[in-house]
Amino acid sequence: MRKFIIISCLFTCLYGKVRVVSSTSDIADIVKIIGGENVTVTSIARGNQDPHYVEILPSYMVKVRKADIYFMVGMELDLWAQQIINGSRNQKVMVVDCSVEINKMEVPTGKVDASMGDIHRFGNPHYWLDPENGKLIAKVVTEKLSNYDPKNADQYKTNLYEFEKDLDSAMSKWKNKFSILKDKKIIFYHNSWPYFSKRFGLITVGFLEPKPGITPSPSQLNQVINQIKENEIEVIASESYFSVRAPKFIESKTNVRIVKLAQSVGAIEGADSYINLFETNLLILAKAYGVMHD
Amino acid sequence: MLKKLIGGLFIVSISFGQTTANPQFSVVGDLIMNDLHNNPNFYSSGIEIAVQGYVNPFARADVYLHKHNDESALELEEAVMTIERGLPFGLGLRAGKFRPDLGKINKDHAHLFPFIEAPSGMANILGKEFWAGTGLEASIFLPLPWYSNISIGSFDSGLGDHDHGIEKEDVHNDHKDEDAHEDKDEHVDEHDHGKNEKKEKVFSARWGHFFEISDINLMEIGTSYYKGPESSLMGADFKYKWRPNKYRSLTIQGEIVQLSIKEEHHEEEVHKGEYKNKSDAGYLMINYQFNKSFNFGIIGDYYKETYKETEINPSIFFGFSPVEESTVFRLKIGQVEDHKSHKKHLKTTAQIIWSLGPHKPHRY
Repeated sequence: MRKFIIISCLFTCLYGKVRVVSSTSDIADIVKIIGGENVTVTSIARGNQDPHYVEILPSYMVKVRKADIYFMVGMELDLWAQQIINGSRNQKVMVVDCSVEINKMEVPTGKVDASMGDIHRFGNPHYWLDPENGKLIAKVVTEKLSNYDPKNADQYKTNLYEFEKDLDSAMSKWKNKFSILKDKKIIFYHNSWPYFSKRFGLITVGFLEPKPGITPSPSQLNQVINQIKENEIEVIASESYFSVRAPKFIESKTNVRIVKLAQSVGAIEGADSYINLFETNLLILAKAYGVMHD
Repeated sequence: MLKKLIGGLFIVSISFGQTTANPQFSVVGDLIMNDLHNNPNFYSSGIEIAVQGYVNPFARADVYLHKHNDESALELEEAVMTIERGLPFGLGLRAGKFRPDLGKINKDHAHLFPFIEAPSGMANILGKEFWAGTGLEASIFLPLPWYSNISIGSFDSGLGDHDHGIEKEDVHNDHKDEDAHEDKDEHVDEHDHGKNEKKEKVFSARWGHFFEISDINLMEIGTSYYKGPESSLMGADFKYKWRPNKYRSLTIQGEIVQLSIKEEHHEEEVHKGEYKNKSDAGYLMINYQFNKSFNFGIIGDYYKETYKETEINPSIFFGFSPVEESTVFRLKIGQVEDHKSHKKHLKTTAQIIWSLGPHKPHRY
């Protein structure tokens, strides 16, 4: 009898949880917060990986094979996810697009083709880089977890409330602490940051990539150097996965400072949770502009 | 009655919605410059047109048309429906004309190869364009903690041109006109071969495993088997990839196959039915991608036929992808053997490859 109870407990512990797979580590972290003890979550892309391009590995299909819910970023960022889901042959998995509630930025009007670079038809997909959008993702996660696992729905709603409260208090802290970043001019490597810039008041002057996804050419670098000199730009920020060669070249020709920001949870040291992602990035920028010191 | 009518209209509207969704359409083309005996010539390995999309929520279809050169017609390379969901036990099913799951390289289209042309030993056994059969293939994931997949297929057309003596690495491939002529002849040969083999059922199987040793160390191994009325094949393959980040990786890949063909002229003798002629082929490739745009590697190509000398041809290759994978420049310098004189020659091959649409010459 005792054996039976132990086995039952083990079974419940291992298999009684909702099995979730997400495309990125940011969504995984939000699922972890909302789901708590009732879910197990795995992310396909690591935080320091470029979420646009993920090499599809058979082991990812094994991860999705037993999943109950798959959370996608959507907006054509993680197109690879569909291949993984199909390859897993999991007929029961519920596929959820986390972008449904998002107020999308930079939605192209008119014809979209490869001459414009790696452009997304449904708008800029880096929406999780605005903490307000983190709340919308959490809302979708809560709704889907509650639908799938109604007996723990109250717990998920409580966790959502706690998460929103934490984000709100972090936001009001950031507003005061990092108000100095408002109206600071910046150049980014890739156009991943419109949601982040809008939320924290940064002014994006340009990008190192001449077009999204296209490696900066020497003429583009010269153009950026002139831009920096004309606009007195102090900082170039890049995602963690890009080479520092082009930014370093510009740094050697100007007085600009180069920083690497966390585009996702786990991308750089300190960005170990969704809230810490913003805290870390804002701190890095504040130090780069010389308005905050260690 | 009204409910039935509404239900019927709903079904019709779903079917209509599915059939009006456009599939993905892609084109991959290239230009190759070959230099042998200081006599460079230009040609194209062909244009590939890919039409891909979902047939319904359970299945997708992939159609590849290939035009080999200026003189050849547009041929059907693959036309396959893959049922990915809805079958019991997580079974997958492919039906149509396609490249069966046999070994590692057979499923890959040539534009994927960083070494431009298929290893000649493998091409001698699988056919210059590799083996595409018409039939059915079922695959199933084994319930193991790692990815383990078994595929078993039955086809109407068998392995390439081995019965007819396959075209060897084209050392005498000096002139564009000769190329075109040879390709045309090969096309006829393949066509005839297909015709002869249509009545014969062949079977193929592969058991593949994939291990994510760590976040950056990946390993794949597989064993394959093929059985035709006159021949059988056994093979083993592996691929190791070290990938610390998106723009840096080291790939080591190798494959060996052994083809056994029944001796056709000994039907009255004691050896009847025994496998007499054996051909072994294999390759070992090391490819290093050292930044976003550049890769460099070596490949050793091996071929051995019964009563003939072993051929080993090494090559080095280099690749440059300035704009992701939409345009790729490749260069290969390698040794090839003239099968008539048995002399070794140095051959330089350069390739510019481009793609429109989502089907691209992805990183290997």
